Amino acid sequence: MTRAIETKALTRYFGTLCAVDGIDLHVEAGTFYGFLGPNGAGKSTTIRMLTGLLAPTHGAVRILGENLADAETARRVKRRVGVVPEDLALFDNLTAREYLTFVGRMYQLPLATVRERCDELLAMMSLDREEKKLTLEYSHGMKKKLTLAAALIPNPDLLFLDEPFEGVDAVSSRVLRDTLKRCVERGATVFLTSHVLEIVERLCTDVGIIAQGKLVYQGTMAEIRRDGSLEERFLEAVGSDQIEHQSLSWLEG
Amino acid sequence: MDASHLRTILWLRWRLSRNQWSRGGPLNAVLTMVVTAAGLLIGIVGGLIGLLAGVFLLTKTSPDGLLVLWDAIVLGFLFFWMIGLISEIQRSETIDISRMLHLPVSLRGVFVVNYLASHLTPSVILFLPGMLGLALGLALGRGFSWLAMLPLALGLLFAITAWTYCLRGWLVTLMMNPRRRRAVIAIVTFTFIVVMQLPNFLGNVVFRHKHQRPQASESVSAVDPNEPFVRPPTKVVVGEPVLIAHKVVPVLWVGHGAMSLASGSVWPAALGALGLSGMGALGLRRAYRSTVRFYQGSARAKRPKRKRPVTPTVTPGTFLEWQLPGVPDDAAALALTFFRSLSRASEVKMMLATNFLMMLFFGAMILMPRSSPVSDTMKPFLVTGAVAFTFLGLAQLMFNLFGFDRSGFRALVLLPVPRRQILLGKNLAFLPIAAGIGLVLFALVKFALGVSLVVILATGLQLLAAFSLLSMLGNLASILVPHRIASGSLKPTKTSTMTTVLLFVSRLLLPLALLPVFLPPALGVLFAKVRWAAAGSTNLVASAVVLAILALLYWLSLNLLGDLLQRREQQILDIVTHEIE
Repeated sequence: MTRAIETKALTRYFGTLCAVDGIDLHVEAGTFYGFLGPNGAGKSTTIRMLTGLLAPTHGAVRILGENLADAETARRVKRRVGVVPEDLALFDNLTAREYLTFVGRMYQLPLATVRERCDELLAMMSLDREEKKLTLEYSHGMKKKLTLAAALIPNPDLLFLDEPFEGVDAVSSRVLRDTLKRCVERGATVFLTSHVLEIVERLCTDVGIIAQGKLVYQGTMAEIRRDGSLEERFLEAVGSDQIEHQSLSWLEG
Repeated sequence: MDASHLRTILWLRWRLSRNQWSRGGPLNAVLTMVVTAAGLLIGIVGGLIGLLAGVFLLTKTSPDGLLVLWDAIVLGFLFFWMIGLISEIQRSETIDISRMLHLPVSLRGVFVVNYLASHLTPSVILFLPGMLGLALGLALGRGFSWLAMLPLALGLLFAITAWTYCLRGWLVTLMMNPRRRRAVIAIVTFTFIVVMQLPNFLGNVVFRHKHQRPQASESVSAVDPNEPFVRPPTKVVVGEPVLIAHKVVPVLWVGHGAMSLASGSVWPAALGALGLSGMGALGLRRAYRSTVRFYQGSARAKRPKRKRPVTPTVTPGTFLEWQLPGVPDDAAALALTFFRSLSRASEVKMMLATNFLMMLFFGAMILMPRSSPVSDTMKPFLVTGAVAFTFLGLAQLMFNLFGFDRSGFRALVLLPVPRRQILLGKNLAFLPIAAGIGLVLFALVKFALGVSLVVILATGLQLLAAFSLLSMLGNLASILVPHRIASGSLKPTKTSTMTTVLLFVSRLLLPLALLPVFLPPALGVLFAKVRWAAAGSTNLVASAVVLAILALLYWLSLNLLGDLLQRREQQILDIVTHEIE
């Protein structure tokens, strides 16, 4: 099996703070990979480095078997990748259809395909009734859905999704989950971060857990289920002993 | 709100400011302190000058003279106040009330703190001590009845600040919808610019033109050149309509009060102070009510609008699907997207509106019949000057290509396209705007000066040459000195000191950068003088050569600058997406 994502000693410092500390990720192609961690653990920093939004301080990244250090190779890889960053990437003064058309053309899709996929995606994300609105008028959830639609329009081999379900309504969330599952069934790889363990447990085939910038666990969901639940594994990995010491003095006794 | 709440809120404000300064670096903190100290010093000096002028210089001034003096001070204050209002049109609360609502603090107390803090503006610091000093000086120099000027000046300040606070609060409610917000900012700014430019326009263009014509004929016949010129003695005489205006227009009550005090009557000043204070109280009450409504919602229910049934829209081939002949597909898509985005951005509309006003102002100056006609030698330079003028406003956008994208720049970083195409697309998006402004200016100049078609053709080529040159320089500046622009404004948000200096220098050097486009008309004049070739045809050929050279340089620069963009895109992303509280 080929690796969709591979990092070697991936590190990122912000000043003296080490946000990501030499992680070695291995994500096989065709897997649904959940990247978990508490707040500030380094999930978003990692995903930003994997997608080229942030330069690593040290370490190497290989995406779809290619080294991203070379700009030309990085561009070639980007054609096969869809991204939903944590801070969304939208132009304020475009409508949803215009933005999707723009992204479709950037991925060099034929215009007929762009139109067809725009229609389907806008309908799927329930954005077709808000076509005249500019994205600056969208709520956070709507912006998220539009960014998801833009990530899906090129039918990528690899999807990076940073908290994709945050702010998305239940109906769209369900539709999106089914769509992502179908992407994986078709052979694509999905790499998502989420705070919601239930979502990861339900969707993912593989899991990585990051805490304080270090990759503290990497394995399959089957392995986790064999030994207990994802929550137990997560708490164990990030330090469940903290819970025992966290209480308020005035609520005691 | 009790004293401990007030203390905590003041502490909060201090901590917020202190943290902001420390994040900006030591140089920023020093600069802030220097500016604050300079403001205070100017205020104190203004107060002293006012005091001394009142005691020593204005003891014998006529009532009309005092009216004019106070009017000038009030109008100066209003002018500066309006500039401050434009630069920060939407009320920015010192303490964000929405973040206090869930706490056990009285809304009224926070409102009063915010209102008082709104007085810390350059216009108040510059003018208020001067006004108060002058009032005290007049009281010392002319009698204690002049103390009535103190409440009158303070009343004016109260009325203006209260109603401004009310207006800004109202604008906040209007701007709840982000699309409307931008339109409101653009319209209000445009209105203020028109209002502020109107006296300039009327004085410099219309009235001067009216006065110049008879003078031109009289000067030849009536004035003896051997007779020494004697300036007639100036005496301020205020006419009846002006006096009526001073009784009716509240901001002129201060001048009227001063004139009445000089004539021995205290009542107009006292009534003016009372009236202005009453108006201020009304404005503040209204501002408070609208603030409460804004944060806590209106208790009254509005009748819901009947919704139109939604009809499924047919999706036609959109503008963004167009192809541009001779332009690579991805660059064409980028150019169309950026152009669509620019055409909807209020900041661009504001910039174009400013250009339009300038065109109106300078165009009228050119169109007005002149006493001395423009020489044929100068005409091509004036038309080329119109080309340069086209870009003076646009440069603000062309030299900061990514600052207006904000989070949209993240999409550009993620795009699988060569960075040279991004630069090409960005540059092409400005071409229709530059061409549009240029065409209007050419038409204006052609109509006013009657330049030949050859010169106009040459100028068209110069426009393209200037566009190539500025695109190249703009690309470099955008990559090296990117700065985030707040949504709906042209104001950079918290730039570093180095960026501010570089921006300032680049704006200063912009006219120098445009010198190459003045080369063709200069060569035309030179060649005509030495009788080598006609000025017009030399201008045309030289313009074509300059365009060819600059277009080639631009084309060659795209690869280099594209690579530079690729290397710096993550740093640019950090800068243009970094939001400041």
